[in-house]
Amino acid sequence: MVSPKTLIIARSEFMRRVTSRKFVILTLLGPLLIVAFLTVVVLIAATTIDGDSRTIALVDETGVLSTRVLALWTSDHVLVEADGSTVRQDVLDGRYDGYMLLPAEMIDDPSVRPQYFAGEGGGLNIQVQLEGRVERALEDYLLERQNVSPSVRDILDRNVNVDAVMLSSEGEEAGSTFSYSAIGYLMGMLMYITMLLYGTVVMYGAIEEKSTRVVEIIVSSVRPSELLMGKILGIGTMGLVQMLIWTLMIVAVQMFAGVVAGFFVDPAATGLAADASADDVLAAAGIRLPDISPMLIVWFLLYFLGGYLLYASIFAAVGILVESPQDAQSLMLPVILPIIVSIMFLGPVIESPQSSLAVALSMVPFTSPVLMVVRLAVTNVLWWEVLLSLALLGGGFLGSVWLSARIYRTGLLMYGKKINLLDVVRWFRYS
Amino acid sequence: MALLKLENATKRYGKLTAANQVSFEAHPGRILGFLGPNGAGKTTTIRMIAHITAPDEGNIFFDGRPVGAWSQQQMGYLPEERGLYKKLKVGDQLRYLAQLKGVSAADSKSRISYWLDRMGLTDWAGAKTQDLSKGMQQKMQFIATVLAEPRLVILDEPFSGLDPVNSELLRTIIAELKDEGRTILFASHRMEQVEQLCDDICLVAKGRVVLTGTLREVKRRYSRDKLALEFEGGSDIVSQITASAGVKLLEHKNDCCVLQLSPQVDAMAILDQLRADPNRKLLRFELLEPTLTEIFIKTVDDTA
Repeated sequence: MVSPKTLIIARSEFMRRVTSRKFVILTLLGPLLIVAFLTVVVLIAATTIDGDSRTIALVDETGVLSTRVLALWTSDHVLVEADGSTVRQDVLDGRYDGYMLLPAEMIDDPSVRPQYFAGEGGGLNIQVQLEGRVERALEDYLLERQNVSPSVRDILDRNVNVDAVMLSSEGEEAGSTFSYSAIGYLMGMLMYITMLLYGTVVMYGAIEEKSTRVVEIIVSSVRPSELLMGKILGIGTMGLVQMLIWTLMIVAVQMFAGVVAGFFVDPAATGLAADASADDVLAAAGIRLPDISPMLIVWFLLYFLGGYLLYASIFAAVGILVESPQDAQSLMLPVILPIIVSIMFLGPVIESPQSSLAVALSMVPFTSPVLMVVRLAVTNVLWWEVLLSLALLGGGFLGSVWLSARIYRTGLLMYGKKINLLDVVRWFRYS
Repeated sequence: MALLKLENATKRYGKLTAANQVSFEAHPGRILGFLGPNGAGKTTTIRMIAHITAPDEGNIFFDGRPVGAWSQQQMGYLPEERGLYKKLKVGDQLRYLAQLKGVSAADSKSRISYWLDRMGLTDWAGAKTQDLSKGMQQKMQFIATVLAEPRLVILDEPFSGLDPVNSELLRTIIAELKDEGRTILFASHRMEQVEQLCDDICLVAKGRVVLTGTLREVKRRYSRDKLALEFEGGSDIVSQITASAGVKLLEHKNDCCVLQLSPQVDAMAILDQLRADPNRKLLRFELLEPTLTEIFIKTVDDTA
């Protein structure tokens, strides 16, 4: 599969990319972009869509809850008590953004529910906040009415948090599940981003060769499959080099993060010795960088290789079927669907990495690059599972390259006609 | 012996037969004009020769063996639809394309500098390909075609888009390649260029070969049925001649005219008629050889 000509092509594809200005900029800015992307995701998840503060009226028909609710109220939104007879008009006039009605019967009849009337745009967040406070106020009132001692209230307030410890043959490994989940997410997202990123580079390369018509000269010298493999290998090598640089950058950041934190954290204030190590400083500042085991990085690279080869060969086939990136859109969807599915199952797999669904998804070649790496990050995976999954991925890759090479051969000289999936199926029936 | 030999090469795309039992030969040291209207199957046939596609039926031999990856190394192909990597530098691109044809780094270096110089592109070696004008890119692509010193040079419409100066340069170079003993397949629908350059012709229409042979032989096959005349005095003779059966006036300007003669007309009788008036001075009396354009149109019409 790898002939001398394939290597010539791979080398040229690699060199012309790593010497481009785009590569240098992306390599340097890539980690920043990823961090920025993840930060935005986290921020969006953390903040509500409500945005600015709203004023909510509280109409209390029970006569006993409003003071408690108001006392419990801690929110960006303003809660004020209002008169039930005029409140509806006040909301419509825009004086309030909404109002909460606490019916008198709700005290003794659990089937009677309080009602929240929103002006324009409900805002789930406000409703959740109101619900929590009213529930608490009602509980407090009912407990007090029964003359229950405050110590019972404390008992009800008890909360249990589980500390997770990962048990492996090498011994116990302490750490919060949060930390493992974070690494799992990180690895999964990183795999997703890199496979898509480099796969798309391959696709654009194929589109360029076809749209500039240079492909006809190339295939008068080499076989289409050699061109396909050379392109995939060259760009894959570029990807590995880029990720190696990124890894080194992360290691450097880890080494210097403590030093940098030292500027902001006063050792005296945290009770540390002046010559405390960087790790100590970080720990004292409450910053804990997740430990990523070297073995996990090896697995990541192996699965990246397999997953990239699988997807890149398909991306290349898509690229050779079209003459412009716009035309590629409709053909792209079926290709990236499995990657999106992988991301959809990221949460469930992290949640229960040993479930039969998680195991199955980590075997299927299209989803295993993302999801097996996630499993490896959060749990102990049996060695034969990894081997089987890698073997299946390798098989999937060989199959997709074979298929793509045939599509490549037929597609590279087809111009002027928009090709859809049905046409591709038809080619295989003919040949 | 023929370097290139096609035997009933046939290629189908669905219901369309793009090349139908195409057979012809090309010989070293000769230029074969591969002619045909647009859509006649020229490019399809060339792609089979270049081993880009394979014939559904029939055989293509290069140097007596079926074509394959091995023969690609000995062919240079300039496709009609030109294309190069836009962002690669001129020198890098030529080196890459030469490498793919199996040329060593050392060889490609000296050959590239020779050809860049020959084509007047030396100053552009370090420029990005997209910064070159269309004509320069075309010359660059021609260099890529001949860098590996191929035994068979396939040129599909090599003159399109070139100005007269560069056309002349290319014509000289093609003649040199021929003198070096290379086989040249020159595909075109521009008859006057083919007529100037080619030794042999192969005419295709609707996927079939309709005419092959040396240029001279093909022309001889078509009778000289046109008569060109030039004289001084007594131009009324023209109407007299054209009044007789089987003579048609094609052109008439002052004292010159071209006549189309039916096979039964005796040209010598017309000569006698012209000489009958002593006041008339005959300057030209020539039975014209058919031009390739005429042969082309006639043959294609016949097959239609």
